[in-house]
Amino acid sequence: MTSATLFGLCGAILIGLGLFELITDPHPLRKILGFNLLGGGVFLVLGVVARRGAAAGYLGDPVPQALVITGIVVAFSATALAVALVVRLSEVSGRVSLAYASSEQTDSDGAEG
Amino acid sequence: MTDATIVLSSALALPGVLLLLCLFPSVRARMPKFAVIAPVPALAAAWFAGRDPSIVFATHFFQGHLALDVAGALLLAAAAILWICAGLYAATEMRRSRNAGNFSAWWLTAMLGNFGVVMSADIASFYLFLAAGTIGAYGMIMHTMTPDARRASVTYIGFALAGEASILIGLVLLAAASPGHSLLIRDAVAGLSPSPWRDLTVAFLALGFGLKIGLAPLHIWMPLAYTAAPISAAAVLSGAAVKAGVIGLIRFMPFDAGSVNVGTGLAMAGIVSTFYGVAVGITRANPKTILACSSISQMGVIATLIGVGLATANAGVAIAAAFYGAHHVLVKGGLFLAAGIGVSDRRNRWLVFVPATVLAFALAGLPFTGGYLAKEAVKPFIGEGAFAIFAALSAAGTTLLMLFFVTRLGSASHDPRGTPTASGLLVPWLATAFFAIAIPWLSLSLTDAIPISEVNSIADLWSAIWPILIGGGLVALWLNQKRQPREIDVASAADIIRRMMTICTSTVERAEAILRQWQAGSISLLAVTTVLIVIIATGR
Amino acid sequence: MIADAATSLDAASTHGYLLVLAIVVPVGGVLIATAVGGRTAERTAFAVIAAGLILGFAILLDVWMTSRPLAYVLGNWAAPLGITLRADGISAVMLVTTALIIAATALYACADFTIPRDGLEARAPFVFWVLLLAVWAALNTVFLSGDLFNLYVALELLTFAAVPLVALSGRAEAITAALRYLLFALAGSIFYLLGVALLYGAYGTLDIILLHQRIRPELAVSLAVAMMTAGLLAKTALFPLHFWLPPAHAGAPPAASAILSALVVKGSFFLIIRIWFDVLPGSRSLAAAQVLGVMGAAAILFGSIVAFRQARLKLLIAYSTVAQIGYLFLLFPLVVGFEGSPWSATAWTGGWIQLVSHAFAKAAMFMAAGLIAQALGHDRIDDLGGVARALPLTVLAFAISGISLMGVPPSGGLIAGAYVIRVMTRMLGPRLELPTLSVKVDRWRQSLPLSLAICAMLLGLLPLQSLELLQVGLPHFLGSAGR
Repeated sequence: MTSATLFGLCGAILIGLGLFELITDPHPLRKILGFNLLGGGVFLVLGVVARRGAAAGYLGDPVPQALVITGIVVAFSATALAVALVVRLSEVSGRVSLAYASSEQTDSDGAEG
Repeated sequence: MTDATIVLSSALALPGVLLLLCLFPSVRARMPKFAVIAPVPALAAAWFAGRDPSIVFATHFFQGHLALDVAGALLLAAAAILWICAGLYAATEMRRSRNAGNFSAWWLTAMLGNFGVVMSADIASFYLFLAAGTIGAYGMIMHTMTPDARRASVTYIGFALAGEASILIGLVLLAAASPGHSLLIRDAVAGLSPSPWRDLTVAFLALGFGLKIGLAPLHIWMPLAYTAAPISAAAVLSGAAVKAGVIGLIRFMPFDAGSVNVGTGLAMAGIVSTFYGVAVGITRANPKTILACSSISQMGVIATLIGVGLATANAGVAIAAAFYGAHHVLVKGGLFLAAGIGVSDRRNRWLVFVPATVLAFALAGLPFTGGYLAKEAVKPFIGEGAFAIFAALSAAGTTLLMLFFVTRLGSASHDPRGTPTASGLLVPWLATAFFAIAIPWLSLSLTDAIPISEVNSIADLWSAIWPILIGGGLVALWLNQKRQPREIDVASAADIIRRMMTICTSTVERAEAILRQWQAGSISLLAVTTVLIVIIATGR
Repeated sequence: MIADAATSLDAASTHGYLLVLAIVVPVGGVLIATAVGGRTAERTAFAVIAAGLILGFAILLDVWMTSRPLAYVLGNWAAPLGITLRADGISAVMLVTTALIIAATALYACADFTIPRDGLEARAPFVFWVLLLAVWAALNTVFLSGDLFNLYVALELLTFAAVPLVALSGRAEAITAALRYLLFALAGSIFYLLGVALLYGAYGTLDIILLHQRIRPELAVSLAVAMMTAGLLAKTALFPLHFWLPPAHAGAPPAASAILSALVVKGSFFLIIRIWFDVLPGSRSLAAAQVLGVMGAAAILFGSIVAFRQARLKLLIAYSTVAQIGYLFLLFPLVVGFEGSPWSATAWTGGWIQLVSHAFAKAAMFMAAGLIAQALGHDRIDDLGGVARALPLTVLAFAISGISLMGVPPSGGLIAGAYVIRVMTRMLGPRLELPTLSVKVDRWRQSLPLSLAICAMLLGLLPLQSLELLQVGLPHFLGSAGR
């Protein structure tokens, strides 16, 4: 088993863990962590692609590495935005949850915006 | 530009321009008066087209094609006259109404739809004008804003949308089978016989158009709508607008190739409608509702005629149906105007009573009226054997129903003090009554295209008279009987439908509440991914 | 044709700089607006919108006149290493649609989001103008980019710009809706990224044209396409992945809802089209297209019925969006199923007309609903009686967009008729006295949704035969009519 395959499997496991967390855990902060795990797994897969696509004499294909760096930046911004929303939500309403409030959908209070 | 282009385009352009002018409030308020002249170009178009049936009267712009053949010219002429007379009536009727301008806007939309449907020669414009007519009718029915009007308009639009959905499916299938992807109705229908979906296409079209003309059991909207609408609106709707379904049947049914299944079905539904309309009509008290039920009955006769023509692959029924329909346009419209005037005015009551009675007999086919000619036109197709009995019975039933209407007209007085009727209401009524009797004779002398056999033999006259006598006798019996008939409430069927729909929709809403949860959504994401992977991987 | 474009890969079009400007100008606007702030943010937005309209029309004219796609190679580095910007027929049409709708929305939002004269900026107006430009920049990149990873970045930019728009009002439900939207959209884009990784691993390039030439049917491609499609479906809110959309679009301010419903969901849909018709080779999987069609049909039924049951106007319109998105996906089985026959091109044209018309109609509807809610103080459907006399132009706009959604030909939306009729009946209903308007609504503001609605209606009059413009730059399989 080459190191590339090992890392690939690792990435797959991380993706699985991240997905599980994202789907099942009710708290939004943990969902954000799950998303980060998911992202980490995908970046590992990209790293494996870099390794396997390496031409003779190089250690790794530079293009997927560039993709990983961009991806890390994107994931970081996403996490920042999500955490900011969570913080604001807890300030405004005290409880942080993605579930629908019971008054929603039948609430007929005033106009938005 | 050729004559045909000018005349045909102006027939649609004038109502269209007036409709656009309705955007300005000051013009809109005075629109009921202007709307009276809107049908005049259409009348001219019908005149030019009908004069010489050998000339092809057609034009096109962009993708829309307009054309008028003899059948279309007949219906268009009758409809145009009715719109003019009813427009005069409406101008007086709407004088005191607050929303007169809005009413005119709906009026013009319905008129545009009516004329457009008769003149369209390609599938897309036909559907467009059909939809316009439905929208205009909806607005007119809803005009008075009473709870009854709202219920009637919602029922109407529900049935109309269902009918248009069926028609749309049929039109799409028709266009798919059309040779060379031509959207002309003529080409598409001609190309229908070799199509593998032929029966399905014809069935969908017949179902949709049957809904639009109120064939039993899809007739529930008609009594509600015509009772709730203002008089002038009811006149044009029951007279002219409902003929959209008739022109649809005339244009789209493949008479050359024929279709036994659909034709038989249409004919049977027509026969049921003919008698069902009479049966329900004699239990009602409101003259407008009785007229609506009579419309159901008359449309049943037309449907039977077309059904027979379809089953026997006889193309001649088209003109006969158009002729019969044109007569009905004027008679029904006129009778609605009469119902609106009523007989409370002591001085003028005979001006209402006498022509109304004549029209009532005309509808039943009294000799030397236009109705007699209409029945003669229909006879070659449904004049033999069992159908002869059907024709006689339907004439008897019509007499029964229409004489009952006249008596209800007499007893439903609006004002015991007898206020004088405005001349603005009487003149249109009398004009319509005159045209209803005269137009069939006039059109007979103008064109040779209408196949009517020898009119003057005694046997023919007697075969027309005796069903009327029987009907008269039945009316006397019916009026004398002491038991109060229970009014069959057609609205209860609509309520059942509404309740079923509420159950369906609330189930869907509860499913949505489940699907809204995060887990459900994200598991769906995984499921969708897996399904796509499997299908794409195995599909290659 | 793809083949022609490949040989001219190195030769970018003479007016290719227009494509760069189309992306750089909105981004420049975002930077300036953020840096300077205050009233300049609003003024910058309008300047950018004016420039963007001109650019959009210029690109459309160029593509139309030359009947060739417009291309630009960034930095003159050719593929497989470089990134190409490419505007074919559908890109040009979407660019113009976006520009027009954003312009109308900006005019509409003037009244809601003015920055006060003394320059002390409030959070909401400042954020709105900046994000409007950001959404526009992201959309333009989505429509113009020719590289799959570039498209990923554009997609993320679109999500990050759209999410705060949802939360703009600051209320708890709005923030929750925004959070839900963000997390689900992120899940979707990670799936997309995984697909991109697989494709690169298999073929060594992410350029759309090169991929089209190199792709062969194999397991990696199936996995990649399935994952990318699924991720994009989550962002486009196709049933059953639609649950985030109604609270998000209904909870946003009306101007933002208009942008979200009309444009943002179309961005990810555009990407699905790109992948299916530009990246994948000739014969697509009909079964997969039918799966999309079935989900679309379910979306139509489901969305329309639930819309009918809603008590609030904005939620009704949001569920109507769910239904209309289903219509968009009917394009797939129709185009793939009729491949090779001229009907394919007709289905293609019909689908795009439907998309553009829906964008206009939905924006108009949300704007109209916003005006009504502002005037009455609420948006409960049952209490809308008499609004037709108070705000006639607005109700007319709503009616026209409702009719165009319902399906005056060529599209068929008759089930949508139920909820449109329901709302119209209420609005036209009688009221003893005129409803008291808490806020007076200007006439010119009412005319904005009206003009959008009329555009939507007029689109229905376009001939059904294939518009040559939409065929520019497409693979040749789409029928013989038009290249």
